[in-house]
Amino acid sequence: MIRTATLATVLVAALVAAGRGPFDIALLNTPKAPSAQGRARLVFAPSPFGIAVTPDGRASYDVEITASGLPDPSSLGAYSAYVAWVASADLHEWHRLGVVTNGTTTVGRAELNKFLLVITAESSATPALHTGPTVLHGTSPSGWLQSFLSHPLFRGIPP
Amino acid sequence: MRRANAVIGIVLACAAASSLPGQQKPPPKKKPDSMPGMPGMSSGQDSARKKGTTMRRARPPMKMGDSAMDMSMPVPMPKGMPMIPGLAGLTPPVASFLPGTGVDPKKLQVAKPTRVMKLADGDTLDLTAMLVRRTIRGRSFAMYGFNGQVPGPLIRVAQNATITVRFHNRIDLSSTVHWHGVRLDNAFDGVPGLTQDSVPAGGDFVYRVHFPDAGLYWYHPHVREDIEQAMGLFGNLRVDSPDPGYYSPVNREQSLVLDDVLVNGDTLIPFGKEAPDFALMGRAGNVVMVNGESRYALRVKKGEVVRFFVTNVSSSRTYNVSFANGASRAAIKVVASDVSKFEQEEMVQSVVIAPAERYIVEARFDRPGRYVFVNAIQAINHYIGEFEPRIDTLGAIDVGAGPAAPDYRTQFATLRSNDAVKADVARYRQYFDTPPDKTLTLTVATNSLPLATVQFMNVDTAYFAPVEWVDGMPDMNWLSTSKQVRWILRDAATGKENMDIAWHVPRGSVVKLRIFNDPKSFHPMQHPIHLHGQRMLVVARDGVATKNLVWKDTALIPVGSTVDLLIDASNPGAWMLHCHIAEHLGSGMMTVMTVD
Repeated sequence: MIRTATLATVLVAALVAAGRGPFDIALLNTPKAPSAQGRARLVFAPSPFGIAVTPDGRASYDVEITASGLPDPSSLGAYSAYVAWVASADLHEWHRLGVVTNGTTTVGRAELNKFLLVITAESSATPALHTGPTVLHGTSPSGWLQSFLSHPLFRGIPP
Repeated sequence: MRRANAVIGIVLACAAASSLPGQQKPPPKKKPDSMPGMPGMSSGQDSARKKGTTMRRARPPMKMGDSAMDMSMPVPMPKGMPMIPGLAGLTPPVASFLPGTGVDPKKLQVAKPTRVMKLADGDTLDLTAMLVRRTIRGRSFAMYGFNGQVPGPLIRVAQNATITVRFHNRIDLSSTVHWHGVRLDNAFDGVPGLTQDSVPAGGDFVYRVHFPDAGLYWYHPHVREDIEQAMGLFGNLRVDSPDPGYYSPVNREQSLVLDDVLVNGDTLIPFGKEAPDFALMGRAGNVVMVNGESRYALRVKKGEVVRFFVTNVSSSRTYNVSFANGASRAAIKVVASDVSKFEQEEMVQSVVIAPAERYIVEARFDRPGRYVFVNAIQAINHYIGEFEPRIDTLGAIDVGAGPAAPDYRTQFATLRSNDAVKADVARYRQYFDTPPDKTLTLTVATNSLPLATVQFMNVDTAYFAPVEWVDGMPDMNWLSTSKQVRWILRDAATGKENMDIAWHVPRGSVVKLRIFNDPKSFHPMQHPIHLHGQRMLVVARDGVATKNLVWKDTALIPVGSTVDLLIDASNPGAWMLHCHIAEHLGSGMMTVMTVD
């Protein structure tokens, strides 16, 4: 019972902390690694200006991942490292960030408007493609942008 | 585990309920802000409470003086963004105003390009705010200019010079001149109700302006900036260092004053007469201009290095500008910002500049052909919930085949380390990691906004971009005035807001000010925060120490960010601290820091 309550407290704290603002991503685990927990924080890349953006105006973030409960990758198969990836919302575009371990690591830079953050087990620390199982994943805050295509407000009907 | 899930659910539900953004509550009962920046205006909130603020349905064109202005005109909506039906036919609860009511624009002097006025120590300049005729998209409008010029005269002085400026107000509103970024005598800071009385139409005022710091500054009114500045009252000040090697050698220098104007067909969109409209996000124009013109043009030789002095005088728009040549971009070297050079020059591909900020940058054009000067941003289409890339073409730099002489390729490639700036900054490093002396939260309170606006804002809360680059919902924005919107600086220590804060700090003190831009307010938005008469360092953003420092007077605070400013409180007097989005200032987002 105590363990359950403690776990609940930890999870709640992690989720609430992860919901602090527009720069936080709650990472969800998968059945491959049910003990894994994590969150990511988007930190503006260094810039001489008030905000870091690409030349075409996309926000430029260094991704800081805090993870715990990641099992040894070899326990999932022929894998040696956990690797973070940034993927476009349609999964068409993937960029490798860097190696993730338990603890806090700045893994690389994300410069997509909306993206998924995916952590997979891989056979090396620098794979060209993501081929291993996903253990944690999350959505950039911008991924929660709502569509109002069918919202009553735009059809003149008060909600 | 089921119990754990239940706990999580309850806690999350409570957290969500307690932080519902957009819960519209009446502003707390408090005495109205005095509005030193807005003479002749009552506090919008006070007015709203006394009289009630109701939106108006469209009506026939209203008469103002000799001219009729139709406030029911639609504000241009972005492509693919429908107007909310519930807002159709509403108009802002203010009378309308445009410069030169009753004046035939054809009888006005045509606005001239800016002219350089080199002034020596002790010189006097006559500076007249006046009506001028400007042509935008082929239509003539009565607007404003200083000395008939837009931008106003480029005043060049030597560092440590003192000049006298005889200001003559010949426009149809009261006015003043604020010398933005200059650490001058408080009496001449140009803030009505704080450092001087506003200058009535037809009146005059004499300023003595001392320039202690080399760099790029600007001047503008501090009365109804949403009208006067937006309609053309702005100009640059360039303060030259006595050191001939202060900047790297370049082939030429250019000023780029970025501005935008909101027009619809044949007309300018009128302004709120007794209170600013577009109070939610500020007025973002749909015609972007450089140096008062809608198309900037420059011819250079291949390999030329150009130093650009960039100033953003827009009411609300933050720019991300670059020089595009096909798929590539000209390398840009960032040299200086508001009140000093950077500790270290660095290369970038684009320049992000918020309202009131300045950057001095250099670019080398090494390919023959055309470089397009663009503002490239990611707009948000709130209807479909998607980002949309948007590019405004501001002008073109045509590069000829002939080689530039002298060839400054090597100097351009060299990133200078500015030891004097480093040494100056080093004196303040002992304060970098100290706890903040003061903390401000940026938020907003609203009252009596249209129901459809409130409904939309209450549901569109899942994500707010750090910077709102364009006005994605101009219908809602137009209908909001400072009668209904109160932008707030809130002192975390006392709970006091805006003009009630009234800080006092000793002269010679170093003040660490932490500013948090609350992402859970009714309408989170970035704020360029400007402190008059002092200089400050942005020492950290979101807990990350700034690596390359520069003295600033205006700092962009993105949504959700926490920014630490270190203020060198060395210049005595009562100084404004405010958001430089003109409509936010006009909606109360200001306080005074007195350096005793």
